[in-house]
Amino acid sequence: MTETSRMTETGAAEAGPQAATDTGAPPPPPSAAYGAAGWLRWGWRQLTSMRTALVLLFLLAVASVPGSLLPQQGIDPAAVQQYYVSHPGLAPWLARLGLFNVFAAPWFAAVYLLLFLSLAGCVVPRAYRLARSARALPPPAPRNVARMPQSVRHQTGQDGPAALAAATEVLRARKFRLRTGDGWVSAEKGYRRELGNLVFHLALLGLLGAIGLGGMFGYKANRLLVSGTSFANTVTALDVFHPGRLVSPADLQPFTISLNRFDASYVTSGPDRGQPSSFNAYLSYSAQPGAAAQRYDLRVNHPLNVDGAKVYLIGHGYAPVFKVTDGTGKVVFDQPVPFVAVSTSGLTSEGVVKVPDAKPDQLGFAGVFLPTAIDDDGTLESVFPAALNPRVSLISYKGNLGMNTDQSQSVFQLNTAGLTELPVAPRPLAPGQSIKLPGGAGTLTFTGYRQWASLAITYDPGQIPALIAGLAALAGLLLSFFVRRRRMFVRAYPGPDGRTVVDVGGLARSDPAGGFDEEFARLAEEFRAAYAGETSEGKSD
Amino acid sequence: MSRPPRAPSRVTRPGRATRLGLLAATSALAVSGCTGGIAASDPANNGQSFVSGSAGTTLYRAGSGPVAPVVSGSVVGGGRLSLAAYRGHVVVLNFWGSWCPPCRAEAPSLAQLNRQFSPSGVRFLGIDIRDSPATAEAFMSDFRIGYPSLNDPSDNLALDFRETVPPSGIPTTLVISRSGRITARVIGGVTYDGLKKLIQRVVAEPG
Repeated sequence: MTETSRMTETGAAEAGPQAATDTGAPPPPPSAAYGAAGWLRWGWRQLTSMRTALVLLFLLAVASVPGSLLPQQGIDPAAVQQYYVSHPGLAPWLARLGLFNVFAAPWFAAVYLLLFLSLAGCVVPRAYRLARSARALPPPAPRNVARMPQSVRHQTGQDGPAALAAATEVLRARKFRLRTGDGWVSAEKGYRRELGNLVFHLALLGLLGAIGLGGMFGYKANRLLVSGTSFANTVTALDVFHPGRLVSPADLQPFTISLNRFDASYVTSGPDRGQPSSFNAYLSYSAQPGAAAQRYDLRVNHPLNVDGAKVYLIGHGYAPVFKVTDGTGKVVFDQPVPFVAVSTSGLTSEGVVKVPDAKPDQLGFAGVFLPTAIDDDGTLESVFPAALNPRVSLISYKGNLGMNTDQSQSVFQLNTAGLTELPVAPRPLAPGQSIKLPGGAGTLTFTGYRQWASLAITYDPGQIPALIAGLAALAGLLLSFFVRRRRMFVRAYPGPDGRTVVDVGGLARSDPAGGFDEEFARLAEEFRAAYAGETSEGKSD
Repeated sequence: MSRPPRAPSRVTRPGRATRLGLLAATSALAVSGCTGGIAASDPANNGQSFVSGSAGTTLYRAGSGPVAPVVSGSVVGGGRLSLAAYRGHVVVLNFWGSWCPPCRAEAPSLAQLNRQFSPSGVRFLGIDIRDSPATAEAFMSDFRIGYPSLNDPSDNLALDFRETVPPSGIPTTLVISRSGRITARVIGGVTYDGLKKLIQRVVAEPG
């Protein structure tokens, strides 16, 4: 990176308005005689050429591919762990290359930073040039005004200075920028085109900055919340946490959210039977410790905004409540366990119960929760997503859950390597019913169920700046599309017959088909009227 | 970055330098790919549990560490307790959950160190995260944990640490000096030898 930053320093000092930056194609490398400064300048021009920017953009796209092909640490850590198990030889090498965390990998950052530099290096000098051009005076009138694409020749009885003054008045009234000289006037209009261009370029830089800002100071987090419980926005309470590079755990907005109730409504008849019609997560939250609690009805696409952090409702499900008594008669487990839906139509959900502190043996259960269970010829299935006839069906295990090691494990999976299945008929349990485990291993009771909501918390301080920059870029682009730069030249000199000849020329610098013909004709006509002349010859193309 | 105005906290704010130092340490952690602390917090109710990298230890020079907030709350098994009761003692504060494998792995070491250092006035205190009372009590009797733990069902205690040394993963262990300053933070499971050294270092401090 030191190489690049050195380039920035030298480049910033030397990259003036040079044609090479603009032409798209990189310039040829300097000869050996150029020395270090020459090479640096050449490198800078290479970096800031349009071609390099495009290549980097392409690289960025290619670099994101492994992020969608391989499991990512930040998105699905359990899948990464799984990958390690199934590819023990390959996985450490992929990890070394940062392929399990592509968007945080140094090489990804390098591409991003180079692209940023390349764009900045391209845009900044252009913006500088545009700013100068937006302030520039029109050029002096050419010697032969009649050779302009639009031109007309008038003759008038007034003397030269008077005719010029009359034309100047017309141009001034039309808000042209004026420049006068000996026997001529030149005028230009449409500088807003350059202004629009400038705004567009600066907004582009602003957009890049805003995205960088979000990447540095923003964060994303997820939290699954069972109704009747609460959590605070602090790292230990979050299920998934993706901080920006400069986010420390102390920067999280210290709000607390309780899920008082979760309601899901479903269509009860017709072809859409079982489709969800509404989700409502009734929250109470306080923005910081000690602040008054407020209520909020959180719905899909209706996020809660706390101190700039947005909380979205992104999922829901059932959490059956289990109470487990171990072999010694002690209650070692009594809490809701979130199950995750495996079918959307009936919300059949899977989950596991781990009771690592049961005696004499650790206990584990894996099974399904069926919100509206029906027995279809011995096969149990759920036919409706609401909990009209909730049942739980579990397989029971005892032995070693593998939880007393440093190795983390998914809470949705049972590591059955150290477990033995207990011979219990997998009879579906209704709320209040129990399984008595053989051999005095204990008892599990399905005491009821609750619903859970999963929340996504995002904080992106770059969002509003990015929106503003985006809108500004659009406005600038439109301005530069719709405004034409056009010039008018007037030259007055004495003709052979003693009358004054006035040559009027016009030039539209961009968009020649944009109606300049009429404007020129109208202006010329106003000039003629102003100095009471008559047309002797004219052309228009 | 705009931050909301915060309620005045009861403890002295750490100096800006400390915060910057921590920030640097955290970002260094992130850069070195050792994201075990922050990125991979061990989730309780989500399938995405994975602790990557190794545990990170942050040490503070004597007298320079941030002052620990005086947390208080209800105790697992009944009663109430405040950290103020341990003023003048070296305190080992451990954030744990019975559902978290690294916490279970380090529990025997913590229980043993508690027995060992109790006579020299070191006090251990747990803060139980995302547990029900039943599982928390079962854990404590299973591992014969001889010290109390505070319940933290709404993460209020974890939040109390946000301006000093926010726990950035479970388990997190803090060693607090007799004057109430945090002298060490360990993210991830502790080892018997590792934590013993950290405790001895503070016990040896005068005052």
